[in-house]
Amino acid sequence: MASTTQLPTTPAALPQPVTTRRRPPKLGRSRPNFLGGLGGWLWLAIIIVPVYYVVITSLKNQAGFFTSNPMLPPAEPTLDNYKLVLENDFAKYFTNSLIVTVGSVVPALFVAFMAAYAIVRGKGKFLSWTNNVFLLGLAIPLHATIIPIYWMITKAHMYDTLLALILPSIAFAIPVSVLILSNFMRDVPNELFESMRLDGCSDWAMMWRLALPMTKPAVITVGIYNALHVWNGFLFPLILTQSPDTRVLPLSLWTFQGEFSVNIPAVLASVVLATLPLLVIYVVARRQLLSGLTAGFSK
Amino acid sequence: MSATTTTPPRAPAAKRATDTRRTLEKGPSGWLAVPALAFFMLFAILPLLGVLFLSFTRWDGLGEIKLDGLSSWNTVLADPVTGNALLVTAKIMFFSFIVQAPISLLLGVFTAASQKYRAALAVLYFVPLLLSSAAVAIAFKALLDPNFGLGPGLGLPLLAQDWLGNSDLVLFVVVFVIAWQFVPFHTLIYQGGVRQIPASLYEAAQIDGAGRIQQFFNITLPQLKYTMITSSTLMVVGSLAYFDLVFVLTAGGPGYSTRLLPLHMYLTGFKANDMGAASALGVILVVIGLALALFLQRLGGKNRNASQLEGA
Amino acid sequence: MNSLKLRTAGMAVSAAALSISLVACGSSGPAGTGASADSATMWGLTGGDQPVFQASVDSWNKAHPDSAIKLDFFANDAYKTKVRTAVGAGQGPTLVYGWGGGVLKSYVDAGQVDDLTGFLKDNPDVQGRYLPSILESGVIDGKTYALPNNKVQPVVLYYNKEVFEKIGAEPPKTWDELMALVPKFKDAGVAPFSLGGQSKWPDLMWLEYLVDRIGGPEVFANIAANKPDAWSDPAVIEALTKIQELVDAGGFINGFSSIAADSNADQALLYTGKAAMILQGSWIYQGMKKDAADFVSSGKLGYTPFPTVEGGKGDPANVVGNPSNFWSVSSKATEEQKKTALEYVKDGMFNDENVQSLIDSGAVPVVTGIEDKLAASPDKDFLTYVYGMAKDAPDFTLSWDQALSPAQGDAMLANLDQIFLKKITPEQFASTMNATIGK
Repeated sequence: MASTTQLPTTPAALPQPVTTRRRPPKLGRSRPNFLGGLGGWLWLAIIIVPVYYVVITSLKNQAGFFTSNPMLPPAEPTLDNYKLVLENDFAKYFTNSLIVTVGSVVPALFVAFMAAYAIVRGKGKFLSWTNNVFLLGLAIPLHATIIPIYWMITKAHMYDTLLALILPSIAFAIPVSVLILSNFMRDVPNELFESMRLDGCSDWAMMWRLALPMTKPAVITVGIYNALHVWNGFLFPLILTQSPDTRVLPLSLWTFQGEFSVNIPAVLASVVLATLPLLVIYVVARRQLLSGLTAGFSK
Repeated sequence: MSATTTTPPRAPAAKRATDTRRTLEKGPSGWLAVPALAFFMLFAILPLLGVLFLSFTRWDGLGEIKLDGLSSWNTVLADPVTGNALLVTAKIMFFSFIVQAPISLLLGVFTAASQKYRAALAVLYFVPLLLSSAAVAIAFKALLDPNFGLGPGLGLPLLAQDWLGNSDLVLFVVVFVIAWQFVPFHTLIYQGGVRQIPASLYEAAQIDGAGRIQQFFNITLPQLKYTMITSSTLMVVGSLAYFDLVFVLTAGGPGYSTRLLPLHMYLTGFKANDMGAASALGVILVVIGLALALFLQRLGGKNRNASQLEGA
Repeated sequence: MNSLKLRTAGMAVSAAALSISLVACGSSGPAGTGASADSATMWGLTGGDQPVFQASVDSWNKAHPDSAIKLDFFANDAYKTKVRTAVGAGQGPTLVYGWGGGVLKSYVDAGQVDDLTGFLKDNPDVQGRYLPSILESGVIDGKTYALPNNKVQPVVLYYNKEVFEKIGAEPPKTWDELMALVPKFKDAGVAPFSLGGQSKWPDLMWLEYLVDRIGGPEVFANIAANKPDAWSDPAVIEALTKIQELVDAGGFINGFSSIAADSNADQALLYTGKAAMILQGSWIYQGMKKDAADFVSSGKLGYTPFPTVEGGKGDPANVVGNPSNFWSVSSKATEEQKKTALEYVKDGMFNDENVQSLIDSGAVPVVTGIEDKLAASPDKDFLTYVYGMAKDAPDFTLSWDQALSPAQGDAMLANLDQIFLKKITPEQFASTMNATIGK
């Protein structure tokens, strides 16, 4: 990815991310839109109240939870619940989630990128058939195949391993990844490929040195989209893993709910902790994340 | 399926093929697509055939898988719970669509504008995108508790309903929670769509003296046609996948009132241990998913975006 | 030449792989104190027994570092869903925690658990320590597949004495008294009964007791024996009708069908005074002892047998619930694991230390000769009550959802939920359930 030697430099030839391609409409120039503003603030309240409730409750002690007003912040905030969650192998579940997410998203991006390149640049019956298979895959509800997947995973002696989560996650990330990547790749001007071809570059080189840099926003979009899905996935872990050693975060929330019994503040502290890593990423990389997602789906 | 889905991507590809044939000997090798295809065949297409096969067997998840003809299908089709699950799925699909679509559209237009406070609000709007369904469900379960939750906290008897225990209310609660979780994503899609509308259209309209509402109906809405199709497809086909949220929030209850088709399949397979019947339900789920995608595909027409809307 | 080289290389690779796998197989020796991948594994349930099992396994591992046991805990509802999946995948724990009955039978039918009859014959001490009637629950077709591992768990009607005193009421002895109490508590702003309806199995306790009080234990015996139309027994219909009358009268707390027993929210409603009574297993005493120590130790917790029903055939001393929980040994475990597991069952379980810690947690172990120890416990009132209840019961019916096959049990819980919600009539319940007979 480091090689930029062959990159064309004419700005006009570069497809820009859609968000910057056109100016946003200046809707607000005229008189202020009170009704719109009101609706906007109302929706904010709907979004924020549950988040606020989760955060303040996670800072209460259990006795305080039963006796205090649920919507008021605690008189004596405590971090004991967070301590309790962290002591309950939270780090292990976090690591598992990280392994599964990275282990699924990176290979999925890699194979999907190659497939998208072949589908866009190549020709022939095989590739168009492949493209159709992926399009078909988009319409399959994931859950429907869980029973045969469970059977396959047990027969392969992979039940209760992280690999059991990674392999089907890769497979299910492929169709949407190929679709978005190939949509972007079609926008790369053909002349660029031709000039590289004339310079004697192979397809392999063109793929990594031209197609990849040119579709970077799409790669980021697909990466984020898949990472969110895998990180927050629940069904595969529920069915394909069992022991605490292979537990991932969303499943740990569900089990915390049983284990901490009536200790709702601790359960909600685990919710906060499980979301925190993504929140940090959101705060740091908000712009890329949102524009990436917008670019991928509004194209 | 193939006839309609392939037309849009093939058109430009074919054009390019004639362009390139003059200068290029051949395109990249089809082998590049093989790893992705192999993964997908092994873990999606093969299981898809597997689910069809298993629907003709009897298997309790422990012992041997035995061929059993149509008995699983007979069980499933005769069971009133199946019909109920279909009905619940259809209701949730319908209500989530009519709740989410207008809200996302309006919020998308709202956040696409350039005011600073709107940008700030948008940052907060997207927070639910980060939460897992399990987290959302657990948070709402605590919030909606009739004895310790939001209602008694605010002292509003109206909010102290038995939200999750009342079989007439619970469906709407589920629709609301789904909207809470997924509206941000669709808002994002609409926001991107609105930002692509050329500003010149609005400038021209303003010169003509068109008001805000006229601009919205005459420019924004028509320009967002394909965005709407994309978002609607994701919403509708996505509602076949509301498994985890409902599983943690209500476990399908009370009674059968929120037992969606995917949840019904899971409970039949992994709780009642009838994998044959669960596979038959899985086949039904696949057929519905394909039918819906095909239908929406038709609706989308032969536009380049048509392939996009497959992005369910 | 080239191909020869390749072949030699291939052989070298496979030889290397083989030696790796041999090493892996041979490394199951001493594993230190930490449990290794080859250790026997055990899954328990969170809640009252968790510290007891933990202490027992900890002390076993300390004394037997060479055959350590790896112990994990799961919440009840999650466990029931997952253990079967794991056992089906051939990757269940060495010691499988269970309830006996139909679920155990399905494991036996699939050859997933070992026959322990020989083990009992070789170890008469093990056989002799159990209450015989309870040992019987682990027997399928004359062979023992499961051994009791904890405590007797009859279902008890608990009440909050403070709340009863406030309105000057006495715990109900008959169903009519019970119904008469409902409006009194409602007027006082207290829910008469707490109920963890989302978990569904607490609903079942009502049906089990009512059917027993009205028609005696034969009614369920017929159902369990898969007799045609057994669910249409008048006793079942009457019991369901009574349940719906109680629902209509507002007997159960607002929102009962969204309360999960798994999170102990149902018992919290009792000790926080939001509900006056709860019908639950004896195990919630352990939970309340932990979560609401003051409430229990100050004697505010009352308990009483399930009321009689006028004109009913059942003996008022009959009990429903779980005779005990059980360990079965997975047939898929290695010989080494099985050996460790059985040695633990023999020497680690129900030794003096284990029995005492069970009693201290507020439970009655399923072994003989513990009367003195129970009497010496600070919880002696409750423990001797439960012990007497289990020992003197003319009939101890296993919880129906465990006694029946998993498919039938699931359908029963789902339909019973519908009864509590008044979505179906007792007759509809009976006909739906009759259709599941033999499944």
